[in-house]
Amino acid sequence: MTMRRSSALAAALGLPLLLAACGTGGSGAQSSTEELPAGQKVEGEITFWHAYSEGGPEVTTLEEEVIPAFEKAHPGTEVKPVTVQYDQLHQKLVTAAAGESLPDVVRSDIIWVPELADLGVLVPLDQAMPDFEKLAEQTYDGPLATNKWQDSYYGLPLTTNTKVMLYNEQALDEAGVGVPETFDDLRASAPKVAETGNYLLAEADAAGWQVLPYIWSNGGDITDEDITTSDGYLNGPKSVEAVELLVDLYEQQALPKLILGGGGGTNTFEGLANGMYATIVDGPWAFPIIEGQFKDFEMKTAPMPHGDGESTSVVGGENLVITQASENKQLAAEFTRYMLSEEAQLAMAEAGQISVLESLSDKMVEIEPSYEEYMNQLQTARPRPPTPAWTKIDEIIRKQVQLAVRGDMTAQEAMDEAVAQIDPLLERG
Amino acid sequence: MAATATTTGPASPEVAAPAPAPRDSRKRRRESLTAYVFLLPGFALFCLIVAYPLARSFQISLYDWAVVPTQASRFIGLENYARGLADEQFWLSMANAGVYLLVTVPGQLVIGLALAVLLDAKMPARGLFRVLFYVPVITSWVVVALVFKYLFNTDAGVVNWLLVDVLHVADANIAWLQSRWPGLMAVSILGVWKGVGWAMVIFLAALTGVRDDLKEAAALDGAGAWDRFVHVSLPAIRKTLLFVTVLLVIGGFNVFISVLLMTGGGPAGSTEVPLTYMYRQAFDFLDFGYAAALSFLLAIVIMLVSYSQFRLFGGDEKEVD
Amino acid sequence: MSVGNPRHQRHVSLRILLAGLAALIMILPFVIMLSTSFKPQTFVLEMPPELIPSEPTTRNYREAWSGNSFAKYFANSLYVALSTTFVVLLLSSMMAYAFARFDFLGKRIVFVVLLAGLMIPGIITIVPAFVLAKNLNLLDSLNGLTVFYSGGMVAFMTFLLRGFFEKIPLALDEAMTIDGAGPVRRFFHLYLPLSRPALATAAIFTFLGAWDEFVWALTVINDPEKRTLPVAIAALQGQRATEWGLVFAASAIAVIPVIVVYVFAQRQFIAGVTAGAVKD
Repeated sequence: MTMRRSSALAAALGLPLLLAACGTGGSGAQSSTEELPAGQKVEGEITFWHAYSEGGPEVTTLEEEVIPAFEKAHPGTEVKPVTVQYDQLHQKLVTAAAGESLPDVVRSDIIWVPELADLGVLVPLDQAMPDFEKLAEQTYDGPLATNKWQDSYYGLPLTTNTKVMLYNEQALDEAGVGVPETFDDLRASAPKVAETGNYLLAEADAAGWQVLPYIWSNGGDITDEDITTSDGYLNGPKSVEAVELLVDLYEQQALPKLILGGGGGTNTFEGLANGMYATIVDGPWAFPIIEGQFKDFEMKTAPMPHGDGESTSVVGGENLVITQASENKQLAAEFTRYMLSEEAQLAMAEAGQISVLESLSDKMVEIEPSYEEYMNQLQTARPRPPTPAWTKIDEIIRKQVQLAVRGDMTAQEAMDEAVAQIDPLLERG
Repeated sequence: MAATATTTGPASPEVAAPAPAPRDSRKRRRESLTAYVFLLPGFALFCLIVAYPLARSFQISLYDWAVVPTQASRFIGLENYARGLADEQFWLSMANAGVYLLVTVPGQLVIGLALAVLLDAKMPARGLFRVLFYVPVITSWVVVALVFKYLFNTDAGVVNWLLVDVLHVADANIAWLQSRWPGLMAVSILGVWKGVGWAMVIFLAALTGVRDDLKEAAALDGAGAWDRFVHVSLPAIRKTLLFVTVLLVIGGFNVFISVLLMTGGGPAGSTEVPLTYMYRQAFDFLDFGYAAALSFLLAIVIMLVSYSQFRLFGGDEKEVD
Repeated sequence: MSVGNPRHQRHVSLRILLAGLAALIMILPFVIMLSTSFKPQTFVLEMPPELIPSEPTTRNYREAWSGNSFAKYFANSLYVALSTTFVVLLLSSMMAYAFARFDFLGKRIVFVVLLAGLMIPGIITIVPAFVLAKNLNLLDSLNGLTVFYSGGMVAFMTFLLRGFFEKIPLALDEAMTIDGAGPVRRFFHLYLPLSRPALATAAIFTFLGAWDEFVWALTVINDPEKRTLPVAIAALQGQRATEWGLVFAASAIAVIPVIVVYVFAQRQFIAGVTAGAVKD
């Protein structure tokens, strides 16, 4: 108590930045990695931040099924779940890291793990958990790889997902076109669908999550394998061609303004359901939402269309990470283990979360037939480049693609500019 | 938070306190002591919550600031400021704030004044009208921004329905929040709508103070209503006009929640305003040093603009220390 | 001009017409908000919009109030707004008194510091303020919100009240002093009672400022139990689809009490603004 007060006083008196930083520093010990073996007696309380959608089956399952089961198996423990809206989670994590007030365990979007690891706020689980190998082995390689930053693993995969093409059969029929399988199909169908007053394809934004599948499916790439440069990749002919596809569709009124961001457009689910958008590309969460809101609409799935490359979608999902700030890392580790158990993974799968356990892959389609297309697409799906600079790179891609789509510059110019902005970020590491 | 208060309230920044009569020094010292006792709790809280973070924020602006206290921050002097001055997107956001100011400040002044004149004379239901005009002012930005986002929806918004289906002034739905100029316009319309009630209340108060005998004298001289307004009322409330304008300008530079919730600064960053851009630099990109520098650049602009307003329109009376 | 004069009456009708028209525009968004909040189908926006719902329902209100614990958020907002109002009124009236009626060393400096604090956008201090809140153990706490809101608003309210205090005749002050009243007594028995309209105005502004504040609350409050209304309402705006009926029902819950309070306090409020603004 006295300690806390004195540091508050130091802060209030405006001691120089670095001094104050040292003064409050006690907890950020990156070097001392506490051993977190399995089967220890655990007790006490931890806080768990997640962005499961509120009011949906995910939170209900977590709070009424999964956590109680864990607490029952470990008497004397309490897991306090905190729902943070996805849009706000990144900001909350950043501010909490700055204020050294991170929770014990976080269900983090896979793209933030390198960033958080780079800030030094995460526990390297492969060093801390003696059974890390064993846990990691059970999961798919792709999702596992998103936990790696430099030479350590800072988390364990919790759920995985990807995007596939979702379509409104009626809208396609009305235009007399089939389900687009290739980029050529998209180009050929565009004017026909536009003629009916509908849009062929809707994308809600132009960030990496939306654009990368087109680039990859055309044989393009973002960076080299070691993520040191994007020159020759993001602005290479295959990538630029993919962006040009979006530009052309937009010009033909086959792709709505939604891709430019802003607000007030008809959202993709609503547009798909009422036929305004014949196809969209989205994840498995679309099913519970569409079923809940548009009862008469039967949504169908198809693989991500492809150009010169193989149909390649983007891997999404979440990892579990334990923070250095945690005062009960033993319990945090035990909770992480439980979340990776078949029991917990099956329960969350029922609520719409695809399991990361290879052993459950057959069960997924049994639980939810709509998962099948996703499980197939996952075979080739790729993660976004794991780099701490990803949020910045993502923003650059979004803006440059939007400028190209809007016609402010050609796709080539836009991607050249993107490379010019991205490469200095990659150099910095 | 200081900004929130600035935009919601009418204060009189009239400063020159009546100089107390000279007294002997012992009494003076005792008086000082009493004053400090009254001053201390509030001023201490202000220093802790506003002044200290402000000073600290300035310090941060001089660093390539590491978010996490355990990592070292690098002192880089004025580099963040130089970067801000050369940042096109930042100046675009300033230009957008300029557009917002050009619409909302005259809009609120003119409509606010018109409403005040309307309600200045005796009429039935005056109190009711006053409340109705003021309701948007007391409603939270979050609520009104969401309501306007709903109204300005592209495919199913009430505004487009009015323009296309009822009034037939537009052929097709306008993508209000999905394009730069319409987006800025929608945000500005919200700004005017939310603010006119505030301007009205203050103008109404000032107009009440205009002496009736002056107006009557002018009327006897054969001046019409318009002439009386321009030559008697308007000059009489000149200081209030200036004061309201300055506060509206400061409030306009601080536009934030409406843009954040209505367009998110999109499309392609084209409706970004200084505060949304700054917020993104800090919380999306963790570039706190840069965000802090941008905010001080903004503060400098605000102060320059406010100061020149006083110089240009304030006459030679001293209004602010 | 006599009231019976027909020209005058035409004049009044015109005024009422104009004012009515303006009022219609001002409240139309609220009418649409309320009307939507009573509609059952809430995901799809219907065209053409209907002002009076064909199948009105209170489902959205029930869902917001109990299903989404808006009762709790309402109580949180009320607590924070009331406690902030109390703290700010007390501290800023004390400061205003010191400024209005005392001469002291450093008066000018203190004044300029307060003024500078008003000019700079509050949002820029959010990170150092966050670290400070953490050090003071005021994160994720309603009392923490009160402390920070109070600190943020105290300077502005001081300016507001100071102008009013200065107008209280010095003669009254001197008369009380001669009767042997000290500064504390004069403050409580002369200045505060005579400043009721200004205090009411300050109270309304403070209450509204705390009731409506969004960004800081969003930043420091994590526990869903401690959300305030604006944060909770913004959270209802879904990432992929917004249930507008629910959002607007929640908004109405947040807006209506404020309007009620304003209607009751507005007489004092207008008097306070008038006293504060008229100085020409």
